[in-house]
Amino acid sequence: MAASPPNSPDPSGSPTSPAQRRAVVVGGNRLPFARAGGPYAAASNQDMLTAVLDGLVARFGLQGEVIGSVAAGAVLKHSQDFNLTRESVLGSALSPQTPAYDVQQACATGLETVVGLANKIRLGQLDSAIAAGVDTTSDAPIAVSDNLRHALLKLSRARSVGQKLKAVAAIRPKDLAPVPPRIVEPRTGLTMGEHQALTTAQWGITREAQDTLALASHTRLAAAYDAGFFDDLVTPFRGQTRDQNLRADSSLEKLGTLAPTFGVKLPTPATMTAGNSTPLSDGASAVLLASDEWAAAHDLPVLAVVVDAETAAVDFAHGQDGLLMAPVFAVPRLLARNGLTLDDFDFVEIHEAFASTVLCALAAWEDDEFCKTRLGLPGALGSIDRDRLNVTGSSLAAGHPFAATGGRLVATAAKLVAERKAELAGTDADRPVRVLISVCAAGGLGVTAILEAA
Amino acid sequence: MTDTYLNLVNSGFTKKMAKQLGLPRPAPLVRFQAGQPLVRGPVLVLAAASSGTDADAVGKQLLGWGLDVRRHASAGDTFGAVVLVLTAIAHPDELAEPVLATGATLRSLARGARVVTLSRVATADDAPAVAAARHGVDGLLRSLAKELRGGATGNGVQLADGVGVDAPSALGALRFFLSARSAYVDGQLLTVDTTAGTLPEDWDRPLAGRVAVVTGAARGIGAAIAETLARDGATVIAVDVPAAGEALAKVANKIRGTALQLDVTAPDAGDRLLELALRRYGSLDIVVHNAGILRDKLLVNMTPEKWAAVIAVNIAAQLRINEQLLVSGEFTRAPRIVSLASTSGIAGNRGQTNYGASKSGVIGMVRATAPLLTAFGGTANAVAPGFIETDMTAKIPFASREIARRASSLQQGGQPVDVAEAVAFLASPQAGGVVGRVLRVCGQNLVGA
Amino acid sequence: MRAPAVRAPGAGAGAGAGPGAGAGLVAGAAQDRPVTPEQPTLRGRTEVVLAAVPGLGGLYARGVGTSARHAVASRLGRASSTLPDVVYVAHGLRAGADHLTAYQHLLGESASDVLPAGFVHVLAFPVATALMVRPDFPLPLAGMVHLANRVEQLRPVSLGDVLDVRAYARDLRAHRSGTQVELVTEVRVATGPHGSELAWRGTSTYLAKGTHLLPRDAADPGRAPGRAGSDPWVAPTATAQWRLAGDIGRRYATVSGDRNPIHLSALTARALGFPRAIAHGMYTASRALAEVGAARTEAFTWTVEFAGPVLLPGTVTVRIATDGATGGFGYTGWNAGSGRVHFSGAVVPRS
Repeated sequence: MAASPPNSPDPSGSPTSPAQRRAVVVGGNRLPFARAGGPYAAASNQDMLTAVLDGLVARFGLQGEVIGSVAAGAVLKHSQDFNLTRESVLGSALSPQTPAYDVQQACATGLETVVGLANKIRLGQLDSAIAAGVDTTSDAPIAVSDNLRHALLKLSRARSVGQKLKAVAAIRPKDLAPVPPRIVEPRTGLTMGEHQALTTAQWGITREAQDTLALASHTRLAAAYDAGFFDDLVTPFRGQTRDQNLRADSSLEKLGTLAPTFGVKLPTPATMTAGNSTPLSDGASAVLLASDEWAAAHDLPVLAVVVDAETAAVDFAHGQDGLLMAPVFAVPRLLARNGLTLDDFDFVEIHEAFASTVLCALAAWEDDEFCKTRLGLPGALGSIDRDRLNVTGSSLAAGHPFAATGGRLVATAAKLVAERKAELAGTDADRPVRVLISVCAAGGLGVTAILEAA
Repeated sequence: MTDTYLNLVNSGFTKKMAKQLGLPRPAPLVRFQAGQPLVRGPVLVLAAASSGTDADAVGKQLLGWGLDVRRHASAGDTFGAVVLVLTAIAHPDELAEPVLATGATLRSLARGARVVTLSRVATADDAPAVAAARHGVDGLLRSLAKELRGGATGNGVQLADGVGVDAPSALGALRFFLSARSAYVDGQLLTVDTTAGTLPEDWDRPLAGRVAVVTGAARGIGAAIAETLARDGATVIAVDVPAAGEALAKVANKIRGTALQLDVTAPDAGDRLLELALRRYGSLDIVVHNAGILRDKLLVNMTPEKWAAVIAVNIAAQLRINEQLLVSGEFTRAPRIVSLASTSGIAGNRGQTNYGASKSGVIGMVRATAPLLTAFGGTANAVAPGFIETDMTAKIPFASREIARRASSLQQGGQPVDVAEAVAFLASPQAGGVVGRVLRVCGQNLVGA
Repeated sequence: MRAPAVRAPGAGAGAGAGPGAGAGLVAGAAQDRPVTPEQPTLRGRTEVVLAAVPGLGGLYARGVGTSARHAVASRLGRASSTLPDVVYVAHGLRAGADHLTAYQHLLGESASDVLPAGFVHVLAFPVATALMVRPDFPLPLAGMVHLANRVEQLRPVSLGDVLDVRAYARDLRAHRSGTQVELVTEVRVATGPHGSELAWRGTSTYLAKGTHLLPRDAADPGRAPGRAGSDPWVAPTATAQWRLAGDIGRRYATVSGDRNPIHLSALTARALGFPRAIAHGMYTASRALAEVGAARTEAFTWTVEFAGPVLLPGTVTVRIATDGATGGFGYTGWNAGSGRVHFSGAVVPRS
């Protein structure tokens, strides 16, 4: 399982041959994330994806530029958006000769897109790329019922009047009711929150610990905005200038008043509330990736190197592991392959699907028994102190437009390590500054990656 | 925004009605378009007897620009411009002949015609009669401009002693006043202080190869400045506060520039502007301080917050950015600073003590900053807009807005691009001899004469 | 329906006429196929060859008729207390691709060419039903309750395979609320012109409630989990939740042919003593099997015990998890509100 693939990088993350040049993060852009039904309610995925690409183009002066590839995805996608990314590129200020394709890996779409494009750059197949993601839960696709769809398809194939009548006759009034998407695991029928409630109970994560993490997310995100950290990472959209979900004035007292929403039927006390869970969100993000040469030729800055990535999946459907626990398995493999420990990272960015998702992962890595029996490690993987974890806030405060979260994390992480590296200049300039990124996703998936200051 | 009145009195039945009622009939102004002739008809060069040599030199230059230059008016001529050369006059008596000759042409000027005087600045060192003659041009020109109709304007170029009519900025200013770029500049006298500056290789792209920063570029006048500088060949970094980022990105993408979300009051704003410009484009040559805010309140009701915010954005930020640019040692390639002042900063405006102080401060600032840049072939100047049709002025109540519009000699408000054209001229290589001056773009508004 | 033709072992086709046999049609191929030697219990039973697999709808109509006769016979004290000594046989069955796909979509199976074990049950079920509606079958079909089911999938059955089905009844026993019986159904896959291989064996345990044919002291005391009186049952950690729509009974009836009125609508269910329609037991068990997924392997034993009905519409909380003791999977479905178990079972690969 932990065997290195043949093109695995050496631990330093530096290129070892001409075929393994570096893939770097030039910068990113995202829209402020909005709550479902909020200011972006009328905006489509294509609207938002185009806007976020245009913001990126404006930030880096890429008008009319042919980018090697733009890859992007949306988790909730209309059928007419079969070529969502290409259509968005055509509507953007990029050259219409810029190729594009769609990607989808549930909530890990954004990070997986970065990883895939970075690999193409490392292989020399691309010199530049934009990895993006977008999602709207406000303009989610509404499907027709299976019966109506089948009847309509039959009708479209029918030739004779009799066949047509027969097809129409098969439609029942209840078939006409639209079917909205539900955020449930198709295999289990449980919502993500219900799944996480099981894992939360299993690891004994307390309400107080979850609320404390949620509060830190809001406090840190607000502080980062106030400090101008997002001035070159966010472009306003539809009058929204900051993440709509952000509550700068949140407090443990306020979070404590919220009634639990998930796990209320479990025998253990319910601890998960709307305050320590991520809301349904609308938004988009994009990351500009390049080879060192392309960035230099375009006089663009280089923030970080995409060092390596690892994906894992868990068998959540048969009760073995929690739905959102896959990153717990991916990270030790990623660290082993790169000869690193958790202590080798200046920053850790863990997507806050729920506060307890992060806390369960931390608990698992600190658990001797679990790490021995399930991760095959000699003992506990280690712990992550909170002053390195999600230092500018994360999804609990910002919101989580599924496919857009990976881009948000990567751009934020790249800027964090670049700033830290700049601070070290003169004192400890040679010390590598790394960030570990972890995203859990529906279907028991987890994608993790390492970035290092360039 | 749309000036409905202007449209009504210039078309159809309502045009006829306005004529019969004797209502003010503002003319649609002719604005710059690529490829249009510099002047809409023959140019008549008139001169005081003493100024014949300069008039000849000017005429030669105008011919070089491909204009149809005449030295005498004939019956039936419709002139696109009259250039009145008064550079050598030593006594007010010398004005009569050329001025009266000018007057004889005013009935037969083309629409959007230009009257431009060329004279010299009166100083305390002049003989009293010389100073009287030179300064007389001031009142002459301003009054003449108020007589002009049909979108015609009158402006003057005032040369400092030692600056010839062939100095780059003398020619640059003359050409600016003759062209449609100065459509809403009226009744103004612009002083050329030195012979610095260079004439552009391509008059249509005088800013080619220059890197410019425009603050407050997301909308209105700032967006127009960014677009106009880009049209004239500059590479533009469009700056605005992060909250205006969406509109800013659109502007940047339209002009193939770069958007920088930055609050100009940030302590390191100047350094960050410079860093981006140097890294991305290799230099920073032009800074347009356009970002500004209004917090109107009668002084009797003024709050510390409203006062401080206006001063911080409108003048303190400019001072800090300029200082950072000057000490960096990187702002040395014939640099240009163009700051947005306001007619409120010249004539004052009720309820705008804070704004007036900041904008008047801008005028003082450029006067003192320009000499610091001359060693590098640089300069700093200000543009003072009058009533400009923007989202901001659209919020003025209807009656006040109408009065403000009709109060100018051109009987209408200006467009953001009119301000942008003046900025672009002052940012150009040919404006290097204009040192610390203020150019008003107000249609010769009554406010402040 | 078409009436079955009956023959005794070794006798010529149509030698005997079973009850209800009118213009009987004989599947000629049947006489070439010997009774399976591996099944000594079948020795001596009379073989009834169905010319074609009967439609379940007709069987139910007929079941109602025989049930009425049972009622009369029971009142007259003339009810039989032995099982008919017959084996019902159908030859040459094939699954239809559209039928298979519809089944797979409804149950959440992937639409492969391998017939899910529950689908084989659907194909073979009418043969067993045909046996149960015989006038000499001692229990009435109407209102019969499915107590448990056990399927041994010995090798995969694929679309295109030619199937032979044999069904017989056994183990008539007293139950505390009536009489229970096991229906054993075997499915063989033709492996050549003359050979075949046993691929699937299903054993369904049914209870005729209130029909007490045997002495009550012989009643099996075994109780299903979650029943009142047993040790308090503690819900395990759920792994899934099924939100069953009100029409799931009708939809499963469409793919299974099992149009027992208790599954179809509240109205028809009330007529048989249920407050609302109830889900087919085999629907819930087959869905659990589907959710075990590929880990069940090609050959496995799949069991289920039905403890309490699932009223429709309704939500069933489910745990499907690996079971170290069996090396396979255990599954349980329960009502999270009442804490009552609906069903439990296991899927254990045969090694």
